[in-house]
Amino acid sequence: MGFSSLRTLGSAALLRRALPGGGFSSRPNGQFQVDSTAWGILAVKAIGGSEDLLDRSQRVVMREQRQDGRLCMSNSHPDSYWPTPLAILAWHDSQPCRDAQQRALRFLLNTTGVHFPRESDAPSAHDSLLKGWPWVGGTHSWVEPTALCIMALRSAGHGQHERVQEAVRMLLNRQLPHGGWNYGNTFVFGKELHPMPESTGAALAGLAGSVDRDAVLPSLHYLQSEATRLQTPISLGWSLIGLACWDLWPLTGSALVERCLANQSRYGDYDTTALSLLYLGALSGDKAARTPFQIVARQPTVAIE
Amino acid sequence: MTNRQDQPSTSGITRRDVLKASGVGLMLGISSLFLPRGYLRLPQQAQTFVSNVDHYQREIAEILMRGMTELGISRQELRGKRILLKPNLVETASGAPHINTHPLVLRGAIEAFLRMGAATVMVAEGPGHRRDTLAVYEESGLADVLTEDGITFHDLNYITGYELPNTGGQTTMKTLTFPGLFQEVDWIVSMAKMKTHHWTGATLSMKNLFGVMPGMYYGWPKNVLHKMGIQNSILDINATLKPHFAIVDGIIGMEGDGPIMGSPKQVGVLVMGRNLPAVDATCCRIMGIDPYKVSYLERADNWLGPIREGAIEQRGETIASVQTNFELIDTIPAQQGIRLG
Repeated sequence: MGFSSLRTLGSAALLRRALPGGGFSSRPNGQFQVDSTAWGILAVKAIGGSEDLLDRSQRVVMREQRQDGRLCMSNSHPDSYWPTPLAILAWHDSQPCRDAQQRALRFLLNTTGVHFPRESDAPSAHDSLLKGWPWVGGTHSWVEPTALCIMALRSAGHGQHERVQEAVRMLLNRQLPHGGWNYGNTFVFGKELHPMPESTGAALAGLAGSVDRDAVLPSLHYLQSEATRLQTPISLGWSLIGLACWDLWPLTGSALVERCLANQSRYGDYDTTALSLLYLGALSGDKAARTPFQIVARQPTVAIE
Repeated sequence: MTNRQDQPSTSGITRRDVLKASGVGLMLGISSLFLPRGYLRLPQQAQTFVSNVDHYQREIAEILMRGMTELGISRQELRGKRILLKPNLVETASGAPHINTHPLVLRGAIEAFLRMGAATVMVAEGPGHRRDTLAVYEESGLADVLTEDGITFHDLNYITGYELPNTGGQTTMKTLTFPGLFQEVDWIVSMAKMKTHHWTGATLSMKNLFGVMPGMYYGWPKNVLHKMGIQNSILDINATLKPHFAIVDGIIGMEGDGPIMGSPKQVGVLVMGRNLPAVDATCCRIMGIDPYKVSYLERADNWLGPIREGAIEQRGETIASVQTNFELIDTIPAQQGIRLG
């Protein structure tokens, strides 16, 4: 299946989740969800979909933003602000969303996970002082939200900010010695934990452009060997994105995506996040595509207003 | 979701019994103002059923049906009920199927509940370590089984939630947010794996319910609950959710550095019951662990259920006949000094 066919298929699938007033639901005929909408915007942008749909969806995300700049999963869980970097990426290059994006950037730069000095007898081996970002406020920083925040800040030109630089060091510190990342622990009680493709893909995308290839070589090898067996959209999508960021998008990429799309007969319809990630992974193999991850590397550094 | 307290009583209670009980209750209520919480609680009783199952190819549905019948669960009680089975799916690793509840135990439970009259059975999980729930579903072998059986699987990490007041009161969380799907089912069944655990000593049917808390609100690896205290959170989730039944897969469990990096342990049992602390206490004794040394069980005792051996009526196999010590690691604090004496 070529990139053109993937665009047609992806566009149709995502339109089924687009809401009349703008935004996306997690499933067809569902209700608005902020993370689904942000991922949907990123995928529609990469596909080259309707500007009107993008504009309406970006505005709906703006309406969800809190005064301090965060976007969260529910009003009763204000600390679940992990969609904030997604919104920043979704608002990229949108003039009407510029102020909202600035507020979100300031929120991220003023926010961190909970960090503490590592005691000598601590069961976990990683450097718990290195700051990144958490899934949920008040907890430790983990790999995927940190990778997304790095990409969001870099997309807005803040790649040289000390928080981004520290977050890069944090991701490198959480890399498993034999390659890959998991959610964010390396050793617990002296045992090296297992890597996970989706975490590895996200971390590699977050680090692309910031570190030398040698620093992530075992992880690239791990992900290259894993990618061909992956059946599910979040793992495959992030893996293809991560590999593409290092110019290693696999020759069999399209076939893998096709197989994964066909697996919906087995798993049921994918939710919007999973579907968007899969199409973003698929289109990241197309040099002409405008995925946010390709955009990140092109942004100049600017200061926060 | 209905809970056991909603079910009609089958005992013949007279008006006089009610008045007597009210009087005693009033006295206890006043007295308890001056006594530690739980001091005057009447001892609780529970039943558990232990079955010998030496490998996963056995007729697990038959075994579970026998167990449920022994525990007083009738077809009438299950007729028309919507059952949600919550397995323990954490992550997968090559050569380590003992991390997760075995798919054939799930298949057995599905068949057992349907043959006992349940209207529907579904399987749902929100893994703590992996964002890609479908990957764990696929790689654990569960997708093959459920696809073949035509059973729906739900990812609890992304289901919009509903809130309940935290009736456990062990953490500072005022409410707990559960997946909305739970409002559409009648029974929640915790289908755990028999494993040691490096933070809690043992992970069984109560700890398994961490997986019902949606990751989109509680993070990965359910970090909000870790911050609130794992033991506290286990108690709050169980007290608030009030699960209906537990089945623990101890055919092959995990010893040592569980719940992920430990070694397989052949035990050859399925353990089940309506009361989760009692089921977990029985599992601990089978594993050679003193349930009173597992903090959340000790605290659950005579509140969420009994863990005292004498308070648990043992059906099926005796504990002594199946007991086998699980390896405990001296350097892991949660596993120090918990060996059954």
